[in-house]
Amino acid sequence: MDTLANVAHGFGVALTGINLLYCFIGVFIGTLVGVLPGIGPISAMSLLLPVTLSGTPESGIIMMAGIYYGSMYGGSTTSILVNIPGEAASVVTCIDGHQMAKQGRAGPALGISAFGSFIAGTFALVALMLVAPKLASIAIAFGPAEYFSLMVLGLVVLTFLTQGSMPKALLMACIGVVLGLIGLDSITAQPRLTFGRMELIDGIGLVPVVMGLFGVAEVLLNTEQAIKRDIINAKITQLLPNKEDWQASAGPVARGTLLGFLLGILPGGGAVVASFASYALEKRLSKSPERFGHGAIEGVAGPESANNAAAGGAFIPLMTLGIPPNVVMALLLGAFVIHGLQPGPLLITQNPGLFWGIVASMYIGNVMLLILNLPMIGMWVQLLKLPYNILFPLIILFTILGVYCSSNNVFDVYVMIAFGIIGYFMRKLGYEPAPLVLAFVLGPMLENNLRKSLILSQGDLWTFVQRPISAACLTLALVLLIAPLLPALRKKRELVALDEGA
Amino acid sequence: MNDPTNVKLRLSNSELWGGLIGLGLGGFVIWSGLKLKLGTINDPGSGYVLFYTGILMCVFAGSIIVSAITEGGPTLASRWENVRWSKPLLVIVCLIAFSFALEPLGFLLSSIPLMLLLLRLIDPVRWTLAIPIAVLAPSGMWWVLKRLLLIQLPSGLFGIG
Repeated sequence: MDTLANVAHGFGVALTGINLLYCFIGVFIGTLVGVLPGIGPISAMSLLLPVTLSGTPESGIIMMAGIYYGSMYGGSTTSILVNIPGEAASVVTCIDGHQMAKQGRAGPALGISAFGSFIAGTFALVALMLVAPKLASIAIAFGPAEYFSLMVLGLVVLTFLTQGSMPKALLMACIGVVLGLIGLDSITAQPRLTFGRMELIDGIGLVPVVMGLFGVAEVLLNTEQAIKRDIINAKITQLLPNKEDWQASAGPVARGTLLGFLLGILPGGGAVVASFASYALEKRLSKSPERFGHGAIEGVAGPESANNAAAGGAFIPLMTLGIPPNVVMALLLGAFVIHGLQPGPLLITQNPGLFWGIVASMYIGNVMLLILNLPMIGMWVQLLKLPYNILFPLIILFTILGVYCSSNNVFDVYVMIAFGIIGYFMRKLGYEPAPLVLAFVLGPMLENNLRKSLILSQGDLWTFVQRPISAACLTLALVLLIAPLLPALRKKRELVALDEGA
Repeated sequence: MNDPTNVKLRLSNSELWGGLIGLGLGGFVIWSGLKLKLGTINDPGSGYVLFYTGILMCVFAGSIIVSAITEGGPTLASRWENVRWSKPLLVIVCLIAFSFALEPLGFLLSSIPLMLLLLRLIDPVRWTLAIPIAVLAPSGMWWVLKRLLLIQLPSGLFGIG
C-alpha cells in the first residue's frame, strides 16, 4: 500500500504542468540525439546540464533522465533506416534491423523496437520502484569502507568493459581521480594542484570537462570523415508487427528485459553491454542462428528491450547508494549536486517527492516516447537529412554558451576547449574518456571515504577485508583486474568491450 | 611480412608516446603528492591519495610502454591515415584563436567569425547561407541570454554585446 501511495504522490509531482513540459523536452531531445548519429546522450546531457539550473531539481532531473532513456528509443531508428547507430547502445540493432529495412520490413523492425523498448522500460520502472526503497534501507548500514570498495569496483568494471587495452583505461581512471582532486582538500582545506590560479580553488567543473571530452572532441572526430548516409527512402508502412513477428519476439523481449535490467544495476555496466549480451544470448538460443545478420526480428527485439531495461536499472545504484554506475549516471549525479542534493540511501525518505516524481515521470516519458517514435516516425526520417556541416558549428556554439552560462566564467570555456582538444588526441591514440569522467566524479568521494575509513579504523587496512560487502567488492574488482591476463578471459573481454563514449 | 604501420622501438610508435606521456604525468602526480605531505596511515594527509594514484599511473603507463616495445604499435602517421586530418586541425586552430579573442573582443565579435570559419572550413556551406547563419545564430543566442535570461556575456574592450 505504501508503494502505491508513494507512486500516487510521484504522479502528483510529475503531472504538474512544468514537469510534464520538462519531461516532454527531455524525451524529445533524447529521441533527437538518438536519431542523429555522432551526438550521443552523454554529449546532449552535458550540453543541457546548465539548463537544469533554471528550474526546480525535479524538473531538471526529469529532463536529464528523459534524454537518457529517450535516446535509447531514438537510436534504433537510425540503426534500422541508415545502418549507422544513433548511439552506442544501438550498434547491434544495425545488424538485423537494417537488413529487415532492406527487405521492405522497416515498419515491423521500428515497431517491435518501440514496443520492446516500451515493455522493457515499464518493467524496469516497476522493478526500480520495488527494489530501490529496499536497497536504500540496507544501504543505510554502509560505512565508508563499503562505499570506497563499491566505487573501486564500479571503476574497475567500467575499465574492464571499455574498448581497447585495460592499462589505458585504468590510466584514464587514475587521471580522472587526479583531476577530481584539484582544488581545496575537503578535510584540511589545503589547495591542491591549483598552480596559483584562483579559478581552480573550487576545482575543475564537471560541465566543461564533459562538454570538452564528449561534445567538442566528438565534433572534431566527426569532421575527419565525410558522413555518408544510406537512408531507406521507401515509404514506411505497417508499423505494427504481425502475429508471427510477436510470436518470434515475445521470448527475446522478456529475456532482454530481465538481462538488461540486471546488467544495468551492476556498476560499470549499462545499456551498451546489455544490448550486446542480449544479441549474443538470442543467437545462442535460436534454433536457426544462421538467420541472424540477415534480418531476424529477434536480433532487434532482444537488444532494444535490453538497452531500455538497462537504462532504467542504472538508476538503482545512483538513487540508493549515490554511486553512478556509468558516465550517464555520473552526469545525472552532477545535476543532483548542482541543486545541492546528494543521492543515496536517505534520498527516498528525505526527498520522497523528488524520487517518486522522477519514477512517475519515467512512466509518462515512456508513453510519450511510444507516441513520438511510432506515429511521428516520418519526422525523424526527415531529420536524418539534416546537413552536418551546419549542425557541427552550431554544436560548438552551444557548447561554448552552455559552459559559460553554467558558471558565468570565461575560464571554463578555456577548460572546455582544452579538454576538447585533449579528448580528440586521446581518442585517436585509443584512450577512452568514459573511465576518466566516471573517476573524475567519483574521485573526491573515493578519497573522502578512503581517508575516513583509515581514520576510523586507526590505519588498519584489514577494515576493507573484514567487512563482507567491502571484501566481496574488492575481490570481484581484483578478479576483473587479473582476468585480462588469462587468454580465454581476455578474448571474452574483447567481445564485450565497448565504446561507451559514442 | 613487415607491416610499416606497426613499429616497435621507434619514435614514431604512438603507443610508446602515449605511455611516456602517462609516465610523465604519473611522475608529476607523485611529486605533487609528496609536496602536499602524505600524512600517516592513521591520519592521511592531502597528498596521500595523489601519491598512490601517481604510483598506479606510473605502473599502468609502464605496462603500456612495455607492451609498445615488445608487441609494437601503430605509427603516429597511421592514426591519421585515410581521414581528413586537416579538418579537425583547422577546427582546433579556430577554437584556439577564439579562446584568445573571447575576452578582448567579447562574445559577439569573436563568435561570429568563429561560426563563419567553421561553416566554410568543415564542409563548405555556400556563402549565401553561411553568412546569415554565422550572424544570426550567435546574435540570436546573445539576445535570448542577455534580454530574456539576463545573463551577461563577455562584451570585450569595445563593450559590444
